[in-house]
Amino acid sequence: MNRRTLLGGLFAAASVPALSACASGVTSLNGQGSASGGGGSSKGGVTIGTANFTENQVLGYLYAAVLKQAGVKVTVRPNLGTREIVIPALRSGDIDLLPEYQGALLNYLDPKATASEEGAMQNALTLALPAGLQILPYGTAEDSDAFVVTRETAKKYALTSLADLRKQNGRLVVGAAPEVKKRRVGAVGLKDVYGVEFKEFKSLDSDGPLVKGALKKGDVDVANLFTTDTDIEANGWVVLTDPENLIPSQHIVPLIADRKADDTVRKALARLGNVLTTAQLTELNRLVDKDKKDPEEVAGAYARQHGLSK
Amino acid sequence: MYELLKNLGTWLTSGAQWTGPDGITHRLAEHLQYSLLATLIAAAIGLPLGLLIGHTGKGAFVAINLSSFGRALPTVGLVVLVFLAGGLSMLPVYVALVALAVPAIVTNTYAGMSAVDPDVRDAARGQGMRGHQVLFQVELPLALPLIMTGLRLALIQVVATATIAAYVSFGGLGRYVFDGLAQRDLVQVLGGALLVAVVAVALDLALSGLQRHLFRHRTA
Amino acid sequence: MTVDWSWIGDHTDELTSLTVSHLQAALTAVLFGVLISLPLAVIAHRIRPLRGFLLGFSNVLFTIPSIAIFVLLLPVSGLTRTTTVIGLTVYTLVVLLRNTVEGLDSVPAKTKEAAKAMGTRPLRTLLTVEFPLALPVIMAGVRIATVMSISLVSVATYIGDGGLGQLFTDGFQRNFPTPVIVGVVLTILLAVVADALLVALQYVLTPWRRRRA
Repeated sequence: MNRRTLLGGLFAAASVPALSACASGVTSLNGQGSASGGGGSSKGGVTIGTANFTENQVLGYLYAAVLKQAGVKVTVRPNLGTREIVIPALRSGDIDLLPEYQGALLNYLDPKATASEEGAMQNALTLALPAGLQILPYGTAEDSDAFVVTRETAKKYALTSLADLRKQNGRLVVGAAPEVKKRRVGAVGLKDVYGVEFKEFKSLDSDGPLVKGALKKGDVDVANLFTTDTDIEANGWVVLTDPENLIPSQHIVPLIADRKADDTVRKALARLGNVLTTAQLTELNRLVDKDKKDPEEVAGAYARQHGLSK
Repeated sequence: MYELLKNLGTWLTSGAQWTGPDGITHRLAEHLQYSLLATLIAAAIGLPLGLLIGHTGKGAFVAINLSSFGRALPTVGLVVLVFLAGGLSMLPVYVALVALAVPAIVTNTYAGMSAVDPDVRDAARGQGMRGHQVLFQVELPLALPLIMTGLRLALIQVVATATIAAYVSFGGLGRYVFDGLAQRDLVQVLGGALLVAVVAVALDLALSGLQRHLFRHRTA
Repeated sequence: MTVDWSWIGDHTDELTSLTVSHLQAALTAVLFGVLISLPLAVIAHRIRPLRGFLLGFSNVLFTIPSIAIFVLLLPVSGLTRTTTVIGLTVYTLVVLLRNTVEGLDSVPAKTKEAAKAMGTRPLRTLLTVEFPLALPVIMAGVRIATVMSISLVSVATYIGDGGLGQLFTDGFQRNFPTPVIVGVVLTILLAVVADALLVALQYVLTPWRRRRA
């Protein structure tokens, strides 16, 4: 064996680990594992997906506005569907980033989880998330599920809290999006925690025209809405209180694929998270739903007004 | 794949799945109700229209091209539009289904009427029959096979599309598809789809069998 | 229910891109439908036992609700345009298969025999005699498939795609009729124009029928 062959062989042997590292992703070399998210990059552009309700689209476009300002190439895919559809899309790479809600996400990932305070939930989420996904720090703004009745219904059955529903077991009809039938923050949890059983579960939509229309008409007695919906106050609807803390804290938290999580993205989203308040988010929702403004336009205007983008 | 089919088998055969407000029996009944009523209404509109155009020969352009137009109408859009205009009721569903069924009925009725041998028409008139007598005693019976085909095609299309009722919160077999979609429960989606297909195919076979039997004595 | 004309004016960009996306999905599905149905139709036409099976199977496929097909494809091809196109192609395929077989059936046996007597090989007969004569019926199928496809694209809005269908979801969620009306009108317009173009195409492709008139 002459020197050239030996050198060639050494070179080949040395390049094998490097090549296999390239093939399996940088993370295996730095050994931190994807949970801590080292090695992501937003250079190739980030695709933001949003679920099928107004607020999520507003949030999606807010994310887009701040990321664009930070120089990231952004694509928004709005109105994709329910969490049950969107999260698999995140895992498979069809989308990279998604505005999520702490409590709801935790219940989706780990139905047995009992954490309900923000910090504890953040930890629980990090543990519960599958490989390849991570959450970024949660923002100030919050939007919880609410179980709502009309003033008349509240009076008729003396309802002030979710616990009161139990006295009317088998009499009341609840309306919510179809997926709520199987969720802990939904029919399943109401039964487990409060012992509530409804006469019927009507599959409607996520705080949309169907469920609100049904509540107004009296087709349903209890409706599952969101706390940032201005219709609740406007119609004088009563939000049933939650003494057992079934409905956990629901701060808005970005859910992102590891491969796209870098400091640029982190910083931009953190700024947004610190600035956006629940009241402001509610107002943005109202602009889109009632004033028929575009979510993209409304988000862009907000970002500019609050110095998050030019 | 095998797992999915196995779960589907369980879903279809479990007794609990067939009973109750969300059971297959109830959803099937709802689905058939929507389909039959919509087709009936469409027939009430489409038959007279097709007969009139076929009998007078005027407006043939409409009859021929109505199918194209009807096919172009996006069902989802129509349902949403009527919902926004009229609120939450079965009206949007029926409007969309009737709009879907009418073209098939009109086009086939017209085709049946225009296939009537002009000599036969002339002979009838020659015998002194008046317009409406020619229509009901001569043309209609001769056009009947194609008219029935039109009704059958319309019904099948309506059965396949009546899943749309679930989009605006109502029942029918579409409930399984939409709930399954929202809950990421593919077994439910597959079950719903399969049931719709089975119902449509069964109706198709039954009605074409009936047609063949009714017109078994006819030549050509 | 009133139309907000200013909304339309403000959103011409979005409407254009949705229309293009919508058309792209529909036409791709028709193209794939044609490519797959042509060989299948020849098989169904030539091989008697397979004919019943192929036509029967495709009839059953046609009765499966489109929303269900899209949803069932999600685990296969994800929340992507591919899912939409595959779903649409199932339906265009059924229509095209039916019509192409019917078209091939309509070629007079005597014409085929004449070609055979002249020594033309089967493939050449197929390409130069059978398909051209079957063209009117095949084109009728292409027209039906195209119009149907354009209408069906909007169903894909339930899986996050949908072209102009997104206007329906948007209008529905916000109780806003304008985008819905615009979406319906544009969809119908697209279908009518596509249909007219195909009629023109058929006219161009069948000069022998023109001369007869």
